[in-house]
Amino acid sequence: MKRLGTVWFLGFLVIVLAFGVSIAQARSLDQIIKAGEIRVGINPTLPPLGLFNEKNEIDGFDKDFAVEIAKKLGVKLKVVRVGSPDRIPFVAADKIDFVMGAMTRNSARAKIIDFTLPITTEAFGVLTTKKIPYENYKEFNRKDITFVQVRGTTPIPFIQKNLPKAKILLLDNYPDVIRAIAQGRADAMIDVIDYMWKYMKTHKQVKWKVIKTPVEIYFNCLGVAKGNYTLRDWLNVAIYELYRDGVVDRLWEKWFGGPIVFKVHWSEWF
Amino acid sequence: MHYTLQFGQVLKYLPYLISGAWLSFQIAFLAFCGGMVIGLVGALGKTFGGRVFRSVVGTYVTFFTNTPQLVQIYFLFFALPEVGILLTPYEAVLVGMTLNAGAYLTEIQRAGFLSVHRAEMEAAETVGMSLIQSVRYVIFPHIIKVLFPPLSNLYIIMTLGTSMAAIFGVEELTGRAFNVNALTFRSIEVFSVTAALYFLVTVAASTILVLLGRWLFRVKSKVF
Repeated sequence: MKRLGTVWFLGFLVIVLAFGVSIAQARSLDQIIKAGEIRVGINPTLPPLGLFNEKNEIDGFDKDFAVEIAKKLGVKLKVVRVGSPDRIPFVAADKIDFVMGAMTRNSARAKIIDFTLPITTEAFGVLTTKKIPYENYKEFNRKDITFVQVRGTTPIPFIQKNLPKAKILLLDNYPDVIRAIAQGRADAMIDVIDYMWKYMKTHKQVKWKVIKTPVEIYFNCLGVAKGNYTLRDWLNVAIYELYRDGVVDRLWEKWFGGPIVFKVHWSEWF
Repeated sequence: MHYTLQFGQVLKYLPYLISGAWLSFQIAFLAFCGGMVIGLVGALGKTFGGRVFRSVVGTYVTFFTNTPQLVQIYFLFFALPEVGILLTPYEAVLVGMTLNAGAYLTEIQRAGFLSVHRAEMEAAETVGMSLIQSVRYVIFPHIIKVLFPPLSNLYIIMTLGTSMAAIFGVEELTGRAFNVNALTFRSIEVFSVTAALYFLVTVAASTILVLLGRWLFRVKSKVF
């Protein structure tokens, strides 16, 4: 009977934890300034937005952008490593003040977090190899085609909607996804054209091929906790200034080696 | 800025999660059965085999019990294709878990063999029993009662261990939980429901194992 009691107690504990867990509250702008530190989530498996440098520290466009934000706010920057599937839960659980890492703005995510003004754009392309004969992305709508994608990313619903016959294998990070194509485990991935050249360099023996997809442009923003308007409004002003002063363009060219494919048109009205 | 729990958004995916739980159960069961066969051969070899066989089994057991299971599967999944062996995610996870279980089950079953009194083996030999007959009629009835509890425990650990299959794209319970999380972003709700499902699966598995032990081998153990 003792063990029966233990099992029921554990079951009860799970239920209590599920329903009664105290949910962390996001820090307001004032609280962040008072703490003297802003915590920013960056995905280091998304070069050149986020990557590990020779010192094994997180670096890249997102890191530099976060440095500029921290400078303007007059606080220290704390970079927190996030992955594609867990980046939104990190914000919702107040593990970070805002998240970067190709945070595409969409209505599903906007139910959970708030978005700032856009900071970069993204247009999808198909990354495949020369072994695959197709030259138009629509030709990939076949049962014998397997896309490999990172869990929780925007291209997945795009594939499900536009290429429903193709299979999808979901892995957790970009290096594994690229390796899966290089090893022939999958035929292609759909992701942002600007990032692809970096991936292609990691497997030089593979004869890569990129096919453009004529789809709408998506916008990457900073993701903040739902209702954290004090932080979001300040970030919007900071983003405007970083655009106006040419900082964003300079950082993009530093990391991507050229101008952004589709420009964000900043305005004095936002 | 308050977070409101919304289980409704997650519960509509319950059938999807339950079929993922079934897949977890299936992987654990197949890997356990495979591991039992490897373990039996390994334990026999280590106990009664020659020097070469003992050292081969010893190396296998040492390697698989001293490296993480996740790393072993990662190796099968991403390193083998470099030598032309391309396992599907499901195959890589199943082979990895079977080999890992085989190593532990070798040791567990060997411990059982060693618990049989030497005099009984000598008696079996005296009446002219072969090694297989000795295992079947002398060792097995003896050791099953001793081995049943650790075997059951390992099976439960393996069921929970199937969660790592998600990393390799197998859509078992954890993989499906990740997918639902990516769709709803309701992490607390998703993983509460997932924990509850794992809890139910393991409690059900424990109960079945205990009842099986009682009926088949008269192992005296309590359900709870």
